[in-house]
Amino acid sequence: MSQTFNLPDVGEGLTEAEIVSWKVKPGDTVAVNDVICEIETAKSLVELPVPYTGVVQELVAQEGDTIEVGQPLIRIGSADDAAPEGDPGDAGDTSDTSAADTGAEAAGPVYGTVSGAAASPSSAAGQAAEPNSTTDTVSPQAEPAPRQEPAETQALVGSGPKADTPKARARTRATALDLVDVSDLGLEPVARSAPTADGGDLGPDVVRRASPPVRALAKRYGLSLSELLGTGDNGRITREDVEAQAEQKAKTPHDEVGAMPLSGSAVPSGGTPTPVQLGLLYDGPREERVQVRGVRKATALNVAASASTVPHVSVFKEVDITASMELRTALREDPRFAGLSVSPLLFAAKAIIWALRRNRQVNATWQETHYTLCNYVNLGIAAATPRGLVVPVIHDAQAYTTQGLAAAITALTTDAREGKTTPAQMQGGTVSITSIGSLGLDFGTPILPPGQAAIVMLGAVRTKPWVVDGQIVPRQIVTIGGSFDHRLIDGDLAGAFITDIATILEQPGLLLD
Amino acid sequence: MSAAQSEVQLASSVPVQLLGVDGALVGHPVFSRYVADLSDEVLLGLYRHMVVERRFDVEATSLQRQGELALWVPASGQEAAQVGTIAALESTDRVFPTYREHAMALYRGISAEQLMATFRAAKHTGWDPGKFNFNWYSIVLASQALHAAGWAMGIKQDVSTGALGEGRTADEVVLACLGDGATSQGDVHESMVFASSYQLPVLYFIQNNHWAISVPLKTQSRAPLAHRAAGYGFEGIRVDGNDVLASYAVAKHMAAQIRAGSGPKLVEAVTYRMGAHTTADDPTKYRTDEEVESWKRRDPVARYRKWLEAEGILDQQFVDQVDAEAAQLAADLRTAVHEMEPVDLERVFDTVYAEPHRQVQVEKAWLKDYEAGFAEDQGVEF
Repeated sequence: MSQTFNLPDVGEGLTEAEIVSWKVKPGDTVAVNDVICEIETAKSLVELPVPYTGVVQELVAQEGDTIEVGQPLIRIGSADDAAPEGDPGDAGDTSDTSAADTGAEAAGPVYGTVSGAAASPSSAAGQAAEPNSTTDTVSPQAEPAPRQEPAETQALVGSGPKADTPKARARTRATALDLVDVSDLGLEPVARSAPTADGGDLGPDVVRRASPPVRALAKRYGLSLSELLGTGDNGRITREDVEAQAEQKAKTPHDEVGAMPLSGSAVPSGGTPTPVQLGLLYDGPREERVQVRGVRKATALNVAASASTVPHVSVFKEVDITASMELRTALREDPRFAGLSVSPLLFAAKAIIWALRRNRQVNATWQETHYTLCNYVNLGIAAATPRGLVVPVIHDAQAYTTQGLAAAITALTTDAREGKTTPAQMQGGTVSITSIGSLGLDFGTPILPPGQAAIVMLGAVRTKPWVVDGQIVPRQIVTIGGSFDHRLIDGDLAGAFITDIATILEQPGLLLD
Repeated sequence: MSAAQSEVQLASSVPVQLLGVDGALVGHPVFSRYVADLSDEVLLGLYRHMVVERRFDVEATSLQRQGELALWVPASGQEAAQVGTIAALESTDRVFPTYREHAMALYRGISAEQLMATFRAAKHTGWDPGKFNFNWYSIVLASQALHAAGWAMGIKQDVSTGALGEGRTADEVVLACLGDGATSQGDVHESMVFASSYQLPVLYFIQNNHWAISVPLKTQSRAPLAHRAAGYGFEGIRVDGNDVLASYAVAKHMAAQIRAGSGPKLVEAVTYRMGAHTTADDPTKYRTDEEVESWKRRDPVARYRKWLEAEGILDQQFVDQVDAEAAQLAADLRTAVHEMEPVDLERVFDTVYAEPHRQVQVEKAWLKDYEAGFAEDQGVEF
């Protein structure tokens, strides 16, 4: 259904680029040649025009990310999501009006959607975007006229790409120029100097395996490329390899540098017992560098930003949830809830919505000079998935019936576990909940999702001794609590909010009001 | 002959202009007459070619950004200089372009697809230079100035021996295109010396777009480039390269003299490239926004359109028609680029010489061996 635009080789032999800014967002409609983002390479800032017409499904790379050439940048779905038209992979088995029109085979994307007509929305958008700059450029009275694309006539700036860069491919042997008798041609055999320890004279192979920006980085660290092991594709030396080596070198006494192991299988030459001799935790190298990507990277950025800018405060409370658990048993037998997840999470979600009505300042976003109170609940539900932590959002959760909310939670968590959560589904949360009880844990201090002032934590429901009417009885007990933005929410408000949630969990009948 | 040399005057540093930046006609004692009697059809044709080229340029730039071309050389801003000059020549006049003469190539009937085949590396050259009297693009700049002089020498000899080739005319003008950057190269010097020595029918057409990649004109030349012609003993002239009428008139004027046996001439079209030198550089790093803005106000297409409309020659219907034609050309170009097949490298070796050649054989063998040496093709895993 969707078409992916990979980062082109921006210019002549560049290998990576940083996403400076996105000009589109998921859900936007784009036409061929619309500028979708600005990227920065070692050479220049470049505006990238999209080669497809359709609807933006996903921005695969985030602003600030440096990605390699050939990595996916953006996914574009067809405007009519139901029609597989235009998808190169499907071109063969659709009835394909588009492919027939253009004679496109599997290798040829887009043409079906490319036409004069497809180009005009983009030009119209360009015109609307900067009416002044166009009229300013010509003398009065005259229409800016024959230019159809004002945005484009001011020339896209920067370097040029190839979609799939030829990566340096691994070779089994060298090829010499002595395949035929050339003695009569007077060709001198080329003596290739071996790489020296100081990197002063790099062999062509080493040069080939590291891009110019990486070589420059190595030079800044005072590293020779010959002391680097490449972990990139086909042994390519990456920026990370250089940084890791620089870090290692900084920690290692000078006299050991030469003998320093570059991987777990190497044994240092010194007299100390080596870890290899002592054995390792498991089969594998002693240390392994893992590239931070995708959800891990997004999570890292989000929590680091949140933890460093938002003063978190946490409160906790133990609650007797027995009544809710009894209600749960009843609902599970109700055919209206068949197939739906009826869990403590559902009751907690209902309780949060109830408690937010009474504690409005909890459902807010801090914006330095002001804060925005939200008269609706976009409830984020943190889910541990194989891809990592994702927080899909139930929008306008206050409008749902209990059954509707159960259905929404079920669908959302299923999607999340199957990795189908779209970025759009993760936008716009006002309050979140994280159910660490499913991990067998009782309490913890979550980090607030960006822009939210409260995240509620729900622990495991356990049968514990509890004092009821002076008697010790077994009851279903859970710890609830969470983290709050202290700029907006003081301890008393956090306490009132959590206490209100506790009240509902203890007496779910109050929801009948 | 020495007397004639001493009579060569330095070109005026004020470029010839027939159409002001405001779109009003400016009278000129010599050049006005060349455009006075042009038919509406010809005048509209100039407009059409400029607009189509500009749209073509935008599409090619986008295709390059989308990874479909390794490189593109934008010509936006130089439409008037190119279209005015090529329109003033005969279709039998041979053109030796740089790699930026897209408007000229399209004018001569080379299709967008043929033009793009070279940039897509699908063809060594996408068109038959003989068919269009338009040589292949020269990537090694300034070499085309030597080719032009050589071609002109051949014409001159053919005329003198009465062995003129089929389709060639005795009064052919050879157009040597170059940019301001190429004027600093030795090849251009040699070409001009040669053309002058043999009084060859060459019109040197410099598009001075002010930037040799990132080197500004003022670094390259302290005097107008047109002055250089006098040093070789022939006439040079400056023209407003953003004025399509002046570009036409000056080229027509110079070509007529060359046909009459004047020997070489030089036109310096003062213009500006609005985009990058090629898509591989970032012009914002070497020139100011103010400078670019000042040239936007001198836009060749807007100026000409304004005049055409004021004269009642151009109506909205024609504007729409041209825009539609340009959009169609852009769409066709996109389709064509996607469908191009890569060039067969073996064929590249086989067509260097007509007969087998040892060194080419060696290099071909090397390539074959190299291509056979990739691990992945032999199932070797790393």
